[in-house]
Amino acid sequence: MAFAMRVKVPPNSANLQEARHRTFDFFRAACRSIPSIMDIYNLYDVVNPSQLRSTIAAEIRKNAHITNPKVIDMLLFKAMEELSNITEHAKQRHHIIGQYVVGNQGLVQDAANKDENVSNFLKNFYKSNYF
Amino acid sequence: MAAVLRSAILRNVRVPVVGNGSKVVSSLWAHRSSYVRSMSSHDDHLERSQVVDRIVDIVKSFPKVDPSKVTPEVHFQKDLGLDSLDNVEIVMAIEEEFKLEIPDKEADKIDSCALAIEYVYNHPMAS
Repeated sequence: MAFAMRVKVPPNSANLQEARHRTFDFFRAACRSIPSIMDIYNLYDVVNPSQLRSTIAAEIRKNAHITNPKVIDMLLFKAMEELSNITEHAKQRHHIIGQYVVGNQGLVQDAANKDENVSNFLKNFYKSNYF
Repeated sequence: MAAVLRSAILRNVRVPVVGNGSKVVSSLWAHRSSYVRSMSSHDDHLERSQVVDRIVDIVKSFPKVDPSKVTPEVHFQKDLGLDSLDNVEIVMAIEEEFKLEIPDKEADKIDSCALAIEYVYNHPMAS
C-alpha cells in the first residue's frame, strides 16, 4: 500500500515548471493522507488537519528558493520517503508530535533566540555537513 | 424531501385537470414506497448560499488571510496576497470540507473564491 503512494517514477524533471508541478502533486498526496495519519497516530486531540496542512506547507516553503530541478527532485524523493514512512506506521506518535505538531516555540531547532551570539560558521555546522 | 415528493407526484400524476389534486395525492400515499426513490440523491444538491458561506468560512479561517478582506469574489493570489502553494492548500481544505476529490487539472484552475464556489456547486458529489 505504501508503494502505491510513490507517485513520481521518473527521476528527472525537464524544467522548473515540471518540478513545481511535482511539488504540488506531492503536497496534494500528503494532504489526502492526513486523515489516515491522524487515525493511525491518534492525533485527534492534539492537532487539526488544517494545522497539519499548514505545517506541511511550511516545510515545503523552507526550500522554496531552490531553482535546480534535480535538487527539487531529490528533495521530493526524500519528502516522499518521509511521507511513506509516516503512513506505513514506521514512525511513532512522539515523532510526529515532535517534528510536525509542536510549534516554533517548542521545537529545539527553531528556537531562534537561543543561539543568537553564535557565529554563522557554527550555525551552519550544527545544521548540516555541507555548507 | 419536498423536492423528492414533488418529483414523485409529477411523475405519477397524469390527470389533465388538476382540480382533483388532493384526491390524487391521497391515493399516492399508499403507493409511496414504490414510487418515491428514497435513496436517490438526484435532487439532493447543496444550496448555493450554503456553499458560499462554507467556502468563505474556509478562506477566512486560513491563518495567512485577513478575514475582513474575504468576499465571495476574492482572488487568492491577487487580492489576498497568497502564493501558489497557499492556493493549493485552500483547494485541499475545500476538498476536505465538501468531501470531494478534485482532479489536478481542475484544481489548478481554481484561483479565486468565485471559481471555487462554481466548481463545488456544480459538482454532483458535494456534501
